[in-house]
Amino acid sequence: MKFLAVFPLLAVSSAVVLATEDMTSAVLSSLALDDSRRPNIVLILADDLGFTDLASYGSEIQTPSLDALAAQGVRFSNYHSAANCAPARAMLLTGVDSHLAGVPNIPELLAPEQRAAATHYRGVLGHNVVTVATLLEGAGYRTYMAGKWHLGMAPEQRPIARGFQRTVAMMDSGADNWEQRPYLPLYDRANWFADGERFNLPEDFYSSEFLVDKMMAFIDADARQGAPFFAYLPFMAVHMPVQAPQEFIDHYEGAYLQGWDRLRKQRRERAAALGIIPDDVAMVRMATTDDWDALSPDDKAYQAKRMAVYAGMVEAMDAHIGRLIEFLKARGDYDNTLFIFTSDNGSEASGPADPRGFVAGIGTRRMGYSVAMDGLGLKGSFGTISPSFASASASPLAFYKFYAGEGGMRVPLIIAGAGVAAKDTITPAFAWVTDIAPTILSYAGVSAPASRYAGREVEPITGRSLRPLAASEVGSVYGANDAVGYELTGHGVLFQGDYKLVVNQGPLGDGQWRLFNIAEDPGEMIDLAATEPQQFQTMLNGYQSYILQNKVMPLPAGYTQMGQLLRNVVRKELGDMPLVLLFTALLLLPFAVIYKLNRKGSL
Amino acid sequence: MNRILSVLVLLSGVLFLFTGVQWLVVPADVAPQFGLTLDGGRGLSSQIGDMSGFFLTLGLCALLGLTLKQRVWYYPAILLLSLTALGRCLAWLVHDAAFAVDLIAPEVLISILYGFAARRLTDK
Repeated sequence: MKFLAVFPLLAVSSAVVLATEDMTSAVLSSLALDDSRRPNIVLILADDLGFTDLASYGSEIQTPSLDALAAQGVRFSNYHSAANCAPARAMLLTGVDSHLAGVPNIPELLAPEQRAAATHYRGVLGHNVVTVATLLEGAGYRTYMAGKWHLGMAPEQRPIARGFQRTVAMMDSGADNWEQRPYLPLYDRANWFADGERFNLPEDFYSSEFLVDKMMAFIDADARQGAPFFAYLPFMAVHMPVQAPQEFIDHYEGAYLQGWDRLRKQRRERAAALGIIPDDVAMVRMATTDDWDALSPDDKAYQAKRMAVYAGMVEAMDAHIGRLIEFLKARGDYDNTLFIFTSDNGSEASGPADPRGFVAGIGTRRMGYSVAMDGLGLKGSFGTISPSFASASASPLAFYKFYAGEGGMRVPLIIAGAGVAAKDTITPAFAWVTDIAPTILSYAGVSAPASRYAGREVEPITGRSLRPLAASEVGSVYGANDAVGYELTGHGVLFQGDYKLVVNQGPLGDGQWRLFNIAEDPGEMIDLAATEPQQFQTMLNGYQSYILQNKVMPLPAGYTQMGQLLRNVVRKELGDMPLVLLFTALLLLPFAVIYKLNRKGSL
Repeated sequence: MNRILSVLVLLSGVLFLFTGVQWLVVPADVAPQFGLTLDGGRGLSSQIGDMSGFFLTLGLCALLGLTLKQRVWYYPAILLLSLTALGRCLAWLVHDAAFAVDLIAPEVLISILYGFAARRLTDK
């Protein structure tokens, strides 16, 4: 009897189970149906690309593929990223501040005492953050990466362990673009990995071409063709060594013989004509900008060639992006693909004024590179641009990579393609690098985790989706009082409305806090700290809150970026030197004994 | 004259030994000085084994010649250096390699130096 009494309960339970399974099937079916509507997402990241290095941002460099994307979408003229590489990538992929994500700086610039003091100061992506790739993978996306990673090389730090199903990844801050060769003595080798294992590059390697080829192969070869894909394509262009195929360099032969000052002005005028910046933006002439007219004709030709190689590298990247777009069109994927293009930080000015000099050339000579004009940009050469041309690349902005000036942080951002209603639009709205991950998730229809994910505590995303901006639904995703902070080696920034509170440390900065209205004055020429003291103080307080909330640590005494890099190089170089000297001494010991015995006449 | 020659042989011998040990301990640091990129697997084995063997043999032969005053020890070093220089020239002529004058010149000069040392610094 009891059995009979229980029966209705069992029947109800079974019905619930069946209903639940049906619902699950229904949800899965709807997801499967949705796969035809969920967009593919291509996230393209240039390396060290300056604010006006694209034609659609005022450049003379030919970038037709990216310009075509810009014409079909939104250009952001007030988008900011970190001032150097790995922190930008950490924020880009997680939507979380770089300090909380474990990457307050690139590992190459971290002091040993910083690494020792805190686990979030090691320059590798922490497991307290979730990458957008992990979230998309969990939502059924195919996830691919081809390019520079620079967020950790240990097995659990590789992209294959951070949500990317197929990968070919360069793990260092940079590497040669023509062969598997390190570009800094910090590295024993150029560390390339494919699907999590060490990988040797092919003989016919050129970075931009190779990465696009790999990405196309990943997309083509995947058996799960019904599912949408997320393709992360972080180029090595235009990070040093600046290298490009000759046919692209040739397009800029003689194009830069007017010099960097002329180029900086031309780009400002073009950017203003395009509507990227206001008219007549005042701009600083950086102290590191040399006098072009004082150069000899040969030196002018050499400097112009350096910039021509740089332009060729940008154009080559664009051409290979064009190949990817054509590939997607041929596959019928293009119309359902969202494209996001940006740069990790502003233009790189670490190249010497003249790398042919004895002292300036020590590093490249030691690495076996040539800096001669003939062959510059080709295999075996080490191209850079000087701070003077880097300033033109960031026109009309002040400073460049590694500094918190606009030239180091304001970079192009283009969002175009599937789901982007606005066409050929420029938005002056403030946007920040942590906004990219939530934007992607929004288009993919994937929820961001709150404070827990896969059974562990995680940092919640702090960025905001830019989708309403791309749909022209709102003028800004940040309110006038919303503050966004940033810190890198003592350089500090707080964005709030149109204001930017900023301090730049040496050698180019003076350690003074300043306040600018970067909507009207992107060149950061008019310091408002004295005329708007209340705003200045409010933002100083806001910056202190940012420091506390994001666990920003004070710098070690006497820290400078370049000094630390040199110390790390020397430490690495000398790290094995005592061993070499010891072995050599051991080998010499018998000869010393024989010599002594000879002197005594014992032999 | 002989004292200067002895010092030059000693310095070059120590330098060769040092380079050989570098190839054993820090191959990635020393490889770029020879225009080489480190390979992996068997290639890396050959690079480290061949290069360290070459330089250690050079250094040991020079120092053995100097300390034992036997000219026979200079011959392997002279042969190694001069044949390497010859090989580099052939590589340039036949295989489109770079004409590495910065490497060929020291090899030729040190071969000549060891030739002098074999004549002047030895007893037998």
